[in-house]
Formats: sequence, C-alpha cells, structure tokens
Amino acid sequence: MAELSQQEEILGKAYDIRLIQRLWKFIVPYKRLFWMAMLLLPLQQAFGLAQPYLMKIGIDQYIAGRDLKGLQGVGLLFLAAVVGETVTLFFHYYFSMLVAQRCLADLRVAVFSHVQKLPMSYFDRNPVGRLVTRMTTDVDVLQEMFSSGVMTLISDFVMVFWIIGIMFYLHVELALVSLALIPPMAVAINFFRVKARQTYRQIRERIARINAYLAEAISGMGVIQLFAREEKSYREFDKLNSDHREAYHLSNLYEASLYSMVEAAGSVSVALLLWYGGGEVLHGVIGIGTLVAFKEYINRFFVPLRDFSQKYAVMQSAMSSAERIFQLLDTPVTIESPKNALIPKPFRGEVVFDNVWFHYKPDDPVLKGVSFRIEPGEKVAVVGATGAGKTTTIKLLNRFYDIQKGYIKVSGVDVREWDLQALRQHIGVVLQDVFLFSGDVRANLALGDRSISMDRIEKAAQFANADRFIQWLPGTFDAQVRERGSNFSAGQRQLLSLARVLVFQPEILVMDEATSSVDTETELLIQDALDKVMKDRTCLVIAHRLSTIRNADRIIVLHHGVVREMGSHAELMEKRGIYYRLYQLQYEREELKLATYDAAAKIHD
Amino acid sequence: MGRLKTYLWRYWRRYLVGGICLLATATLVMWIPWWIRDAVRIIENGGALRDIRFYAALIGAAAVVQGVVRACSRALIFNAGRDVEYDLRNDLFAHLQKLPLSFYHSQRTGDLMSRVINDISAVRMMLGPGVLNFVNAPLYLVYALVLMLSMDVRMTLAALAPFPLLIFAVAKFRGRILKSSLEVQQQMSALSSHVQENLSGMHVVKAYTQEGFQTRQFIALNEDFQAKSLELARMRGIITPVMQGFNALTVLIVLWYGGIRVIRGDLLVADIVAFVAYLNVLAWPTAAFGWMLSLVERGRAAMKRLEEILKAEPEIASSEKSLPVRGLKQGIEFRDVSFVYGRQNNGHPTLEAINFSLPVGRSVGLVGRIGSGKSTVAQLVPRLFDVSSGEILMDGQDIRKFSLRELRRTLGYVPQDPFLFSTSLRRNLAFGRDEVSDEELARAVRIAKLDRDLEIFPQGVNTIVGERGVTLSGGQKQRATLARALVMDPPVLILDDCLSSVDAQTEAEILQGLRAILKEKTCLIISHRISAVKEADEILVLDEGKIIERGTHEELVNRGGVYADLYQQQQLSEELEQI
Repeated sequence: MAELSQQEEILGKAYDIRLIQRLWKFIVPYKRLFWMAMLLLPLQQAFGLAQPYLMKIGIDQYIAGRDLKGLQGVGLLFLAAVVGETVTLFFHYYFSMLVAQRCLADLRVAVFSHVQKLPMSYFDRNPVGRLVTRMTTDVDVLQEMFSSGVMTLISDFVMVFWIIGIMFYLHVELALVSLALIPPMAVAINFFRVKARQTYRQIRERIARINAYLAEAISGMGVIQLFAREEKSYREFDKLNSDHREAYHLSNLYEASLYSMVEAAGSVSVALLLWYGGGEVLHGVIGIGTLVAFKEYINRFFVPLRDFSQKYAVMQSAMSSAERIFQLLDTPVTIESPKNALIPKPFRGEVVFDNVWFHYKPDDPVLKGVSFRIEPGEKVAVVGATGAGKTTTIKLLNRFYDIQKGYIKVSGVDVREWDLQALRQHIGVVLQDVFLFSGDVRANLALGDRSISMDRIEKAAQFANADRFIQWLPGTFDAQVRERGSNFSAGQRQLLSLARVLVFQPEILVMDEATSSVDTETELLIQDALDKVMKDRTCLVIAHRLSTIRNADRIIVLHHGVVREMGSHAELMEKRGIYYRLYQLQYEREELKLATYDAAAKIHD
Repeated sequence: MGRLKTYLWRYWRRYLVGGICLLATATLVMWIPWWIRDAVRIIENGGALRDIRFYAALIGAAAVVQGVVRACSRALIFNAGRDVEYDLRNDLFAHLQKLPLSFYHSQRTGDLMSRVINDISAVRMMLGPGVLNFVNAPLYLVYALVLMLSMDVRMTLAALAPFPLLIFAVAKFRGRILKSSLEVQQQMSALSSHVQENLSGMHVVKAYTQEGFQTRQFIALNEDFQAKSLELARMRGIITPVMQGFNALTVLIVLWYGGIRVIRGDLLVADIVAFVAYLNVLAWPTAAFGWMLSLVERGRAAMKRLEEILKAEPEIASSEKSLPVRGLKQGIEFRDVSFVYGRQNNGHPTLEAINFSLPVGRSVGLVGRIGSGKSTVAQLVPRLFDVSSGEILMDGQDIRKFSLRELRRTLGYVPQDPFLFSTSLRRNLAFGRDEVSDEELARAVRIAKLDRDLEIFPQGVNTIVGERGVTLSGGQKQRATLARALVMDPPVLILDDCLSSVDAQTEAEILQGLRAILKEKTCLIISHRISAVKEADEILVLDEGKIIERGTHEELVNRGGVYADLYQQQQLSEELEQI
C-alpha cells in the first residue's frame, strides 16, 4: 500500500492529447456506439430545453387565454418532451457505459497479455500488488471518467449558448438582466473552483502521506513497540492527520460556498426577473409564463458550471491512471522469439553451456564463465554452497533471463535463436517452491491444456505416486486446490509437481530439489517418483538429496559462479576438494539419518 | 454503535449549529415560492409595480441570506464529519500501536490498510453528507407538504400522486442495485485474484508456456465482469432519468390540472407558479433519499468492522500498578519458561522448561538450528509475546510487573529481520532517542562498522533509505539496526542473529568492536554462527524448544555433542568460503 503513496498520486494535467489519442484507439472498435451516445446528447438537451418553453406557452397562451384544448396539446407535447428526455438520457448513459466497459475490458486484456510477455527480471523488480493495481484500480478510474459524464463536457458548453439564444429570443431585456448575473457568478464560481482544485491536490498528497505512514507503521510495528516509540509516532501521525483535516476543512468551505452560491443564484435571478420583468408583465408585454421559463433556463445554466470542478478532478485522476497504464504497456519485451525462430528437428536433447557470464546487477556477476555439456539422456547434478549460482543456472536454460556473454545451446541451437514457446515445451521445470494454482487437481496437472486426456493425467499421477492421496480427496481429480495450494502438504505438492512433468513429457527435466523436510514415508514415495521421472530424460538437477547425487551420471560443482570440479561421486570424493567438503557439510548428515531409518525399519520387521 | 455516539457527542455543538442552519435554510427556501406566489398574484390582479418590487427585494434578500446560511450548514456538518474521521483515525492508530505482534501475524497488512482507508471514509460519508441528507430530506418534505396543503389540498394530492410509485420503485430498485453491485465487486475480486495468482506463479506460467491459456482464462473472467458491470450500469442508468422524469411529470400534472382549474376560475396562475417552485425544491431531497439510506447502511457496516479492530484486546500491556525500572542490578532469569504460540505455531516453536540466568555484566549465547526456538526465547524478554507458563525475572521481579515502556527501553533488542523506516539514515539511527549528539551517533556507526558504507552513500548519514530500507544491502540494513540499538545505549543488549547477512570477515570485526561494550552490558546473543557466541560466559544449545547442551565453548567442544558438530561444520564452510 505504501507504494501507492508518493509517485502514484501526483496529479497532472486534466487533458493530455497524447493520452487521449491512445485511449481513442481503444474506443475506435466501438466508435459507432460512441457516436450514437454522443448524438443522443443534443437530442436530450433539446427535449430538456423544450420543457420550460412549453411551460411558458401553456401558461401565457392557453391558461391565460382560457383555451383548454390548447392546454391539452401543450400538455401532451410536454409529456412527449419528458419521455423523450428520460429515454435519451438513459440511452446516452447506457451507450457510454457500453463503450466504456467494452473498451476498458479490451484495455485490461491488452495489459494482461502484455504482462505475460515481460521477462522475469521485470517481475523481480515490480511487486505483484502494483501490477494488480494497474489492471484493476487504474482501469476503474478510467471507467469513472465515462460514468461521471466527462463526455458531456463539450455538450454542456454548447448548451450554455443554446440557453443564451433562447433567452434572447424570448425577451431581450430580460435576457440582458439574467446575463448580468452571469459575469459576477462566473467570476465567483471560477474563484472557488480554482481554490477547490488547489485544496484537492493538497488533500490527495496529504492522504497519500497518511496512508504511506500507516502502512509503514503497521509493517514496522515491532520496531516501534520495542523502542517504546508509540508516543512519538502517534505525534507524527497526528500531525499528518490534522494537516489532512485542515486541508479538508478549507475544501469543504469552498465546496459549500460554491454549491450554496449556485443555489442562491437561482433565487436571486427570480428576484431580478420580478424586479425588472414585473412591470413588463403588468403592462402585458410578456406573460407570467415567460418569467417562469426564464427562471428554469437560468437554473439549467449554472448547474454545468458548478459540476465542472468535479469533472475536472475526475479527468485529472483519469489522465494519471492512463499514463501509468500506458507506461506498463510500453515496457519493452526483451525476451521473445527472434524473427526467424528455429525449431530444430529431431530434438536430440543435449545441453551446452559455453563460457556463460551472467549478472542480475552490473558489477555483481553470478556466473563467471560457466561451461559444461550434458549429453542426451544424461543425468547431471549441480552442487554448491548457497550463492554459488545453481538456481541461476537452471533459470537460464529456458531463457527466464538472457546471459551477457557466451552461449547456451539446446539441441545444437542457441536458446536465443529458438522459438521460445517450443524451447520451453521441451524443458520441464520443477522448482523448490512448488506453485499450485487455485482450481482443481486436474487443472493443476494439465495446466489448462484441454487436449490432454483424463487417462493420461491419471496415469501420470499414478506413476508419480500422487494417486495415493488424490484418491482420498473429495472429488479426487476434481478436488479444489486453494490459493497457492495451501490445503496440500509440502510432500503432496512435490508429488503433484512431478506428476505435472509426467503429463507434459518434456525431453529435458530441470529441477531444484526441495529442501523442506517431509516424513519418511512421503520421502520414499518422492524418491521413487523421482527415479521414474528422471528415467530416459536429460536431467539437470540441483541436488539436495543424497540419492540424487548418488544416482547422477555426473556432478558439477559450482563455487562462486565458477565450475570448479566435475565428475562422478566416487571420483570427486577421491579428489578431496570442494565436493569432499560439501559432501561432509550437506549430505553426510543425511546418510547418518538414513542409516538410522534403515535400522529402525529393520527392528520393526 | 456506542463508540459512534461518543464521537457524535464530542461535536454536538457543531452538529447543533449546523442543524439550526439547515432549519433556517429550509425555512428561507420554503418561503421564497410563497413570496413568488404573492408577487405573481399582484401581477394577476393588476397591482402596483412597487408592491411587486417589494417582494422581489424580499426574495433577493432571502436568497442571499439563504446562500450564506446554507454554506454554513454544509461546511459545519461536513467538517464535523471530517473531525470524527480525524479522531477515529487517530484512535485507530493509537490502538494499533498497543496490539501485540500476534495480532499482526494474523492479519495481512493489505487487509488492515484497506479497512482503515475505505471503512473510515464510509463512516465519514455517513456522518457528513449522510447526516445532512438525513435531516434535510424529511425536513423539506414535511415543510413543503404543509405549505402546499395550506395552499390547495386537491392540487397537492394531484401533484404528489406519482410519489408513492416513485418511493416504491426506488425501494425496489435499491435492493436490486445493491445486489448487482455486490456481484460486480465479487467479479472484480475474482479478476484481481486471477491476476495476483498469475503474477505470483509467473515462473510456472512461463516454464510451461501457459501464457495463452492464462490470457484466455482472464478474458473469460473479464467478460463475466463486463456483463455484470453492464447489468449494474443499466439499472444505475435508469435511476437518474426516471427521477428526472418523475419530477417533470409532477410539474406536468400541476400545469395541466392547475391550468384546467385556472380556466375554470377556482385557482390563480400564481398558485401554479408556486407549486412548480415547490416541486423543484423537492426534487433533490427525494432523489437523495435512496443515496442517504445507502450511505447510512455502508457507514454502519464499516463502523462495525472498525470496532472489531478497536475491540481487539491489547493482551500485552503494563499492569495497572506497574513498577518503575531502575536500571539493571542483578540480572535476568528464565525460570521454568514454557511457551506455546496461539492457535497455530506460525513458525514459532513451542518452548519447554527453559531455565537460565543472565547476571548483570555477563553474556549468554544461544545456538541451534533454524526452528529450534532460539529467536522465540529472545522475543519473550521484551514481551513481544508473553510466556505461557513459568516466569522471566528481572532483578527478581516478574517482567510483567514492570511498566512495559520502561522495560523495553532497558532492552536493546536487535531483530533478525532488519526493518528501517523510509526516512534518512540519521533519523533511523536516532529512532530510540529524542535527541542524539553527533559523537554518540558516530560511535555507534563505528562499532556497527557502518562508517565505511557512509562514506560511499551520496548524502552520508542523511541518505534516505527508501521503503523498508530497499536502497541498502541486507548486511547494511542489519548493521544499521545494530547501530540503532547502540545509539539507545541500553543496559541490556539482545542480538537476535542480527548479523546473519553480514559476511564473516565484517562480523568478526564488529564482534571485536562490540566486545569492549559488551563488558559493561548484559548481553543475550543468538546466532547461527558459533563465532558470535564463542566468548559468551554460558552457551545454551536449543533443539526443538529444549535446552540440550549448556556450558562454555571449551566445555561444549570437548563434550563432542551437537555443539561440537555445529562447530566442526562451520569450520568446514569457512574453509569452503576461503577456496
């Protein structure tokens, strides 16, 4: 929430031609609807403006002239105008919302599918919450722009001239009297409008500060309490809070004045009309109805002026939201298939790292000239201390990141020349933190690929020893998986991720073994499943299990971003180098544990 | 709603004056059509211009006064709403500060924030515009009704004939709109959960090339959302035109029926004009009636949610007759301490029968694997959690007897997870003190080995550290939090594995510098590195919440148990580092 604060709430222009043009592109597919909505506006205004005029005719001509038939006619016309206004107003609103909803839905999809293409490095830098805000809150603000009637701004302006025209047509002198009220009102309205806008900006800044402070205080509550600084931070918070209140008090005053002034102007105009028009009526130059009509027209004149300040504020936030959305849409896609992407056939499945250099941050290389080769069907384990660059290595293989120097080849072709989609389909990935989507078990295994048969899914689950617990779930393969798979144990999640690999049958398996401890029985199931999954596949595994390094054809020892040793377990142990020490440090303990398990198992037998 | 009444009472004067202003406004608003009627009557009966102008002046004056009074009423009542908002926000903040960490573990920051932001604004809307319309709507209705009836009963009944229908329609519609807007909200949250999940699982999405499927799913949800939104828009779209239409309809009735009667001769045009004016006045309060009801509804629901927070008990607080802390004379003692964390053990292991003493001027080291409970032991001393059984004594008194504030200020606790505020480094370091001299600051910075980093920082100690200290490295953050505790200069230091991200070389240097101070201080050092606790007077080895070994470094190494094993492992990894 705190990120919502400074950078995002700053308000800019209410009108930015560049942004409007880009937004317009999203409206274009619905431009017929859009123009229909726009064309309804003058119609609606005509119906609205006709009503006071009909009232005037009704009173002056027919009521004063005691003409019942005529009155009926005017009454019917009035009714038609009312119905007309109601209907056109509804359809105007509905059509604009239709355009808004459709084009904003398109915008949302455009943002979503763009985000799908962004490289992993983008997600490392940008918190999830912020991106969600782009696609939801910011788009909502744009919708508010449509629904609050910003589209009517221009037509409101046109209407003002219509009203002036009608007033002059009705009675020049009274029109001048009414208009005499307009300049001072316009000046006053403008004064309060500008003031209100300034305070509005202040308020936005101050509330953003309050919320940022609050969010930080909540996350840092432990520190505040430990240092017994509650009073101090309360004072700071109170300061921000009262600054905010003060700005609002001022803003309330302006808004109240603005509102009341427009309301009062209506009555003042009546007074003026009676003062100047009373004599005219007495002398029979104009009728009472004209006075009534004038009063109505003046009312309709001020309301758009009053609402302008609100619409302006809405425009301001809409523009800054649009700016942020387009910024996201403009984020370059740095990792994508090249123009003449290759899909080498047949797929052989060997992997080559040649002098690979990689860094996340400049001047802080993670891999420094890593080279190795994995033959098709070979199982290679990567070991190393924390921070040696193991996880990075496997993330480079399927092009989550692009390397800075050297090359990585899969099946003889540089990964940067591969068709990205095809490359990733050949490589199955199992990461430490198994990610499950909310939905059912089946969808998590087949990941939305509808062409995969239920039979294949069930077989894969069975093969990966996952069917044992799936069959006990309510609804078995239709059982619901909660967000992030929180209703499954760590062991169950690992088994599911192995089953997922078997469903997709990739030629290459890349795995970061989980370190989280599971019970012995599950451990045995996982190991068994692992053996089956790794069989007949090219495997690159970051090993945490003793059995994995034992079963590997070859072990690569990464140390500080460099391949320091390579060979089989026995060879490396003999060398008494880094691997020897790592083994003592990480795996020997497990050997002891397994020995105890075995001993325990024997006693039970 | 008890609390709400307290707030309302606090500003009763403003509400009262605001209410009087509302009454005055309503009175003036209601008399103006009456005077218009009088003026028009004069015109109809061919009176004198002077008399008409008298009423014109009266109306003009009333309009000006009305404008001022109305502005006052709105400003007063809306401001009172803002004042309650201010109080409520301050009270919430003060209360949040009293709540123990266990409360924050059970809540997500985002949820808490949205409550505080959205619910407070809903309460404010209820107390500002809600109250105003709550007073205004019935006031205007009754006022206008009485005046209209006193003019002409039949006309009033005719003009208001569509009203019951309107009220019925609004009531019916309101329910449907409420339901529909709930559906839109649900659909919106489904949409954002999908986005949230997609982004969190982006590595899986990419690894399994599921971008297309994910987008199709999103499109489907998006379309549902669009459909629901349009349904809502259709209903919302009907309300305003229908309201306007109804209002125009009442005007038509007055014109038509009134016209007939004027022609028949039992009514004056002036009456029609006045009726039209009254109906105009009534248009807004009727339109706002439904809005007002929903404001009150939302405000009450929001207040209820806020009360849940305000009612949460500050379980850890000073006792009523708390003892003052006068330095540390004898020391700290854990006597048969056990601890079970709330309902679930969210990463907080249970402690069992922990006994040790930390005499003044001495140091105790705590080692153990991740999850062995060593941090929990440290967190019990400043009462971030309270023991489940047994007691922790300070100078022979249970720590729960002391003033919480004074207890905590005696203890310099340096947590494992370094939290810095997004302000300057200087303000972060001085966080525990009101004033701090440059010398004191420099000394703490030196000991925490932060001095070299400060030279590189663009603005030295005035550098802004960014949100949660993002601009600093993990090691820098940890050293800054250590310096922050040192600046406070407390008699007791609790170092909770606070140098885990600092490299071994720097750690050794820091420990070297600390040793000089540690001699004057009482110290509890928790670490996963043996090097940090090696020189402690007593070392405790924790496993699964129990002390399994204790003694000095030499004793433990010679014993050849878990500690010796850990020691050997660490020597190995140090060796590995060197290669």
